[in-house]
Amino acid sequence: MTTPAPVVLVVEDEPAMRRFLRTSLRAHGYHVVEAATAREGLAQLAGRNPDVVLLDLGLPDADGIDVTRQVRATHRTPIIVLSARGQERDKVAALDAGADDYLTKPFGLQELLARLRAALRRAVPGRGGAEPSVVTAGELRVDLGRRQVFRAGEEVHLAPTEYRLLAVLAAHAGQVLTHRQLLEAVWGPNFLEQTHYLRVYVGQLRHKLERDPARPRLIATEPGVGYRLRDEAPPAAGG
Amino acid sequence: MTMDRREAGWRGYAAATATVGAVAFACLQFRATFAPIDVAMLLLLAVVVVAARSARGPAVYASLLAILAFDFAFVPPYYTLAVHEGAYVVTFATMLIVALIMGGLTARLRAEAGAVAARERRLAALYELGRALAGARTPAEVAEVTARHVERAAGTPAAVALRGAAGALEGGGPPFDRPRVAEAAAWVLDHGEAAGTGTAEFPDAGALLLPVGTPLARHGVLAITAGAGAGAGAATERRGLELLAGQAGLALERLALARKEEAARLAVEAERLRTALLSSLSHDLRTPLAGIEGAGTALASDAERLTPVERRELAETVVEESRRMTRLVANLLDMIRLESGALAVHRNWQPLEEPLGVALLRLEGRLADHPVEVALPPDLPLVSVDELLLEQVFVNLLENAAKYTRPGTPIRVSAWRDGAAIVVEVADRGPGVAAGEADAVFRKFHRAPGRHVEDGRPAPGGAGLGLTICRGIVTAHGGRIWVEPAAGGGAAFRFTLPLEAAPPSVDPDAALAFPEAP
Repeated sequence: MTTPAPVVLVVEDEPAMRRFLRTSLRAHGYHVVEAATAREGLAQLAGRNPDVVLLDLGLPDADGIDVTRQVRATHRTPIIVLSARGQERDKVAALDAGADDYLTKPFGLQELLARLRAALRRAVPGRGGAEPSVVTAGELRVDLGRRQVFRAGEEVHLAPTEYRLLAVLAAHAGQVLTHRQLLEAVWGPNFLEQTHYLRVYVGQLRHKLERDPARPRLIATEPGVGYRLRDEAPPAAGG
Repeated sequence: MTMDRREAGWRGYAAATATVGAVAFACLQFRATFAPIDVAMLLLLAVVVVAARSARGPAVYASLLAILAFDFAFVPPYYTLAVHEGAYVVTFATMLIVALIMGGLTARLRAEAGAVAARERRLAALYELGRALAGARTPAEVAEVTARHVERAAGTPAAVALRGAAGALEGGGPPFDRPRVAEAAAWVLDHGEAAGTGTAEFPDAGALLLPVGTPLARHGVLAITAGAGAGAGAATERRGLELLAGQAGLALERLALARKEEAARLAVEAERLRTALLSSLSHDLRTPLAGIEGAGTALASDAERLTPVERRELAETVVEESRRMTRLVANLLDMIRLESGALAVHRNWQPLEEPLGVALLRLEGRLADHPVEVALPPDLPLVSVDELLLEQVFVNLLENAAKYTRPGTPIRVSAWRDGAAIVVEVADRGPGVAAGEADAVFRKFHRAPGRHVEDGRPAPGGAGLGLTICRGIVTAHGGRIWVEPAAGGGAAFRFTLPLEAAPPSVDPDAALAFPEAP
């Protein structure tokens, strides 16, 4: 069973960064297409039809958020944005504009591979419209069809709002969801600024689901951005 | 003052009437036994008593009353004002003259006593102002304190306007908001002389305006609203007020000099820090770079001569040293952001657990040797903080605790509500911070000398910025950070997060009003 190597389009202006991504991704069985500018990237997108896009937010010729919008206008290809710490607002803007995930520079290879795997998993054709009805993350199992939640095999009873929040996270397991996206999905468009609702309920969920709520591993905080339901163990924490 | 005097006069006449009347009445009872000369003496005594105790008016009045009473009731023929014997004319004249002399004497004594009392009051006001000004830390405080004391001394509203950065007077409130007063005040600031009520300049301003300053520099203007500066004691009163203004001027001069000195000291300090920064930076950045370059070149040029294990070790060196560099650069960038005032605080209501949890996970590798106990009460209110910045505070405090304590010793993070603030504590079981170091540890590029030699371990690396950044972030949140000995040994770093407003409420049914997505 030989599946064709997934194609990764890398849009990044730094040659050293491109070299790192090219060599390491090739070594892990990806086919890498490179672009140094936004314009080149959009051309490659149309020509090569990649499976996933790695998009640097600091391109010289265009605003990464605009590029995200332009890609989304025509393609559903997963986009992972790359940016530095301290640019949380840009990350959130890119995610709200349709990017699927982000990586904060500097990042390690394991982290990059985990994000790529998650993005490709979600984009598997055939699963398109129908969400998986059961999501597992560590010892957590969420049965979205029956609206049941199990932790280590035992059913956990959640308040309606808690369940709704968990269901949204589970439906996008592995993917970061911004505060805004979560607030809109659970509380509706009138609550986009009420982030404390989200934080209070995430706290409650953690106390019911996490082994150690002080070090939450299932519902991970993405500081300044949002939350992510981890469906695979995080790569070893960097030094 | 005038009111008092009038009232005192009225009382003087009443007292004179009562005194003379009482003596006359008493003498009347003994008219048969007393010779007229005795009665005259007693009445004279009454006049002297009245003159000694009141002003000239009541004294003369008392003597006239005594003459009338004597003539009417004690000089035959009784109950007429007719005088038969010329001798009594001398008695009458003597009474009058004694009253006049006594009245004059008393008036002078009284005036002198009044002057002494006024001088004493002025001195007391001056002394009190001096004492209050010694505690004033800012020009605004000096202005406030001076205005309050002048008001008390003069009994009429007063205010001080200070020279602003632009050179003109700023603020001061009433009466400086009146255009005529403002105009006069500007003139006073320019000329360094008094103006307004009772002076040649702007006598219609409705206030007395005095320069506040020293011969070298004028710092502001004192305004005393009308009422002062006019009237009888105007000249002495104004001198007193001028003394108070002078005192305020000295205080402002002292502050200005202290500011200049502080600026000079800071400039020297900044220079010293720049030098320290350069040497610290060149060392801290070059060390990991040397490791990265060395390992990198070995991997690039000698790859085929290395065993797989050696290659892996070199690669790990590159990874570890890059991470060290990343941390250093991040700290330096944070520091620059803090110092340049570019630190934007994006506050959000959240449980303290959130930034702490992120920090604990981020540090998992480096905290492997230290069990971290988290004790947050479940009813701790939400705090309004910037999660990224607070995470950095936790990261730096936890990293610091891990760095300066023996492997295996625990670290405890706790928090509690204390009045209008949340107190957060990160306590370790290390050697603690020396008493004299409690402030220094928060200083830039400070690396606690007493802390790194526990069990002979080498000095931990780092630019000595972690705690300085913590202090900057906590201060930007309106809180305070300090270190104290932990109960049971070790160092307890504590910081406060003020609860400025009530946390927003959470309606548990809010989501249910919104239809669930299909």
